[in-house]
Amino acid sequence: MLLFFFIGSVLLSASILLSPGRLVTRVLSLVFSALLIALTVYAWIHQGKTELAYFTFDSTAVLLLSVLALLTVPTLYHGFKYTRRDNLKTYNIYHSALTALITFMAGAYLANTMTVLWIFVEATTLAVAVLIYHDRTEIALEATWKYIFICSTGIALAYLGILFLGFIYGTGEAPNLSFSSFSLVIAGADPLYLKIAFVFVVVGFSTKMGLFPMHTVTIDAHSVAPPPVSALISTALMNVGFLAIFRIYTLFSTTSILPFMNHVLVLAGVMSLLIAAGYMLKAKHLKRMLAYSSFENMGLVAIALGIGGNGYYAALLLIVLHSLAKSSLFYQMGQLSEILHTFRLDETGRYLQLYPAGGTVLITGMITILAIPPSGMFIPELMIFNTMVINGQWFVLVLSLILLTFVVYAMSTRIMHISFSSPRNCRDIRLPGTVNPAETISQFILLGMVIMICFYQPPFLAELIGKSVALLPK
Amino acid sequence: MVNYLIVIFAVTLIYFASAERLATYVRLIAVQGLMLCGIAVLELKEVNLINLLFIVAETLFFKAMILPYLLNRILRRSGVTRVHRQAMPGFYLLLLSIAGLFISVSLATILVNPFINTIYLAISLFTLYTGLLLIVTHQLILSHLIGFLVVENAVFFFSLAMGSEMPMFINIGLLLDLFVGALILGFFGLKLKPHTNELTMLKD
Repeated sequence: MLLFFFIGSVLLSASILLSPGRLVTRVLSLVFSALLIALTVYAWIHQGKTELAYFTFDSTAVLLLSVLALLTVPTLYHGFKYTRRDNLKTYNIYHSALTALITFMAGAYLANTMTVLWIFVEATTLAVAVLIYHDRTEIALEATWKYIFICSTGIALAYLGILFLGFIYGTGEAPNLSFSSFSLVIAGADPLYLKIAFVFVVVGFSTKMGLFPMHTVTIDAHSVAPPPVSALISTALMNVGFLAIFRIYTLFSTTSILPFMNHVLVLAGVMSLLIAAGYMLKAKHLKRMLAYSSFENMGLVAIALGIGGNGYYAALLLIVLHSLAKSSLFYQMGQLSEILHTFRLDETGRYLQLYPAGGTVLITGMITILAIPPSGMFIPELMIFNTMVINGQWFVLVLSLILLTFVVYAMSTRIMHISFSSPRNCRDIRLPGTVNPAETISQFILLGMVIMICFYQPPFLAELIGKSVALLPK
Repeated sequence: MVNYLIVIFAVTLIYFASAERLATYVRLIAVQGLMLCGIAVLELKEVNLINLLFIVAETLFFKAMILPYLLNRILRRSGVTRVHRQAMPGFYLLLLSIAGLFISVSLATILVNPFINTIYLAISLFTLYTGLLLIVTHQLILSHLIGFLVVENAVFFFSLAMGSEMPMFINIGLLLDLFVGALILGFFGLKLKPHTNELTMLKD
């Protein structure tokens, strides 16, 4: 199945690039999404199975692959809307790159060796670069350059981390550093090498996860990319970075460096919260504010991993729910720019009056992403703070709560301004655009799922997350 | 012989810190490519012939010829010859570079491992340090690019240290090179406008 998926994806991506018309491109993109959904169903049925030697349908991979499959259809739909005014060549490049990106992300989720995971992560950078540069503006060029440059540096650093893992092996016995074979030799490894490898991997993959210290790249990229692309790279692609760090963390968690890893993750998480809170308070660009919100959420995820216990479960649940909530907000940003022709906070206002469906999505999205009940994100955040209390990590708890208060203030005042107030700056007076309210359906569905989790967690979700964290220390 | 090449490689790194002309940087990148080629030929005797030829071709043609050629083209196109006036002065960079060398050697001594030569470890750590130093202390994006190429050489140098045991690592290092090729060709060579020396549009 996996071979069929990869071959099919390559052929579809190439066909979309050479497509003679928009209709053909749309049909091929939908065929691709059907292929991805089929792979996801297959992965659910064949959990634990290894295919093509380097890919395994383990629980974490299946969980994140399901999120990706769930987001693919609305991303394609909003992408069709966003690119409808483009010429055929640009239209095809966008959809071909999007198909390639989704394929690379699926490959990264399923990779069972460090090197294959690294290769797929590297490949996502090229696909994302094409998508960020879609609008062909000076600012898009700058964001693309920064994205490629910082990601490349991060990827090189992550590779140094992998090389350190190689030194632990020392010989060609396990030439591809599979996670399962590595777990057999990890107990005898030099802790200093493990620590260095972990730091390199965290710093390297933080470019993808959007975590301190290499977070800047994601902020620029997410704010400049077309909104449907921002929705995907602010969620599913960040999940790729998280997965790489999570895999290494799980692998090393049986060694003596567990406390060291926890300190590193808590530090990275708190720094992420601090920087995100600071910049959200001065954010004047709506998409940048959402990008900082993603940064803040990844900080919370890192803290959740670092505190251990129920934090592990909370981290994975938060990753899933953040993906659903944040993507719907980014889809909404695409519609907001259609109505208001801007992302600048000063130039926006009266959105609920101009576009009630969109305004409702924006307010509901704000409540869900800020983890205010009945948002499902309230559950993992409560678990995180509860674990901190159990562990007696009072300093981290108080600091995190204070920083989150700033985040709640910054985001809620801005969303309220957009929804209800008049624009502060009306220099460029343009008639509001129109968007069919039916186009918000996918956003309501995704937000509805997040809210549902507050009241009911489906057993399959709890089971999948439970299996993902089963190897971690209790 | 390998040790001589490694020492020359290390000298190029110190030279990076003191140089202020971008053309010098490009020449140093070419020299590093040649040194890496020599080290690969002398060190990787146990690797199969096709793989070795591939590695030599990659270092000799890609690192020592194609990359410098592309960089020179970009320099001519941009008209920039020197590092940014606000970059850290060469003297301080030199001091930082020498301090970095001592730190790298000390770290390598601590990280003794039966599978890796300490000299390799020390110089690759020093190369990584120099690359990051160039990126952090310089403002011109061309200097950043050079810094990234030095970081990339650190990765390749590191992978060479394990090449005989695990040639797969070198192959992946080559992949990183191709990635860099796409990066330079795609953006610096073709997209970025000649006057684009600094990127400051995206700010909060």
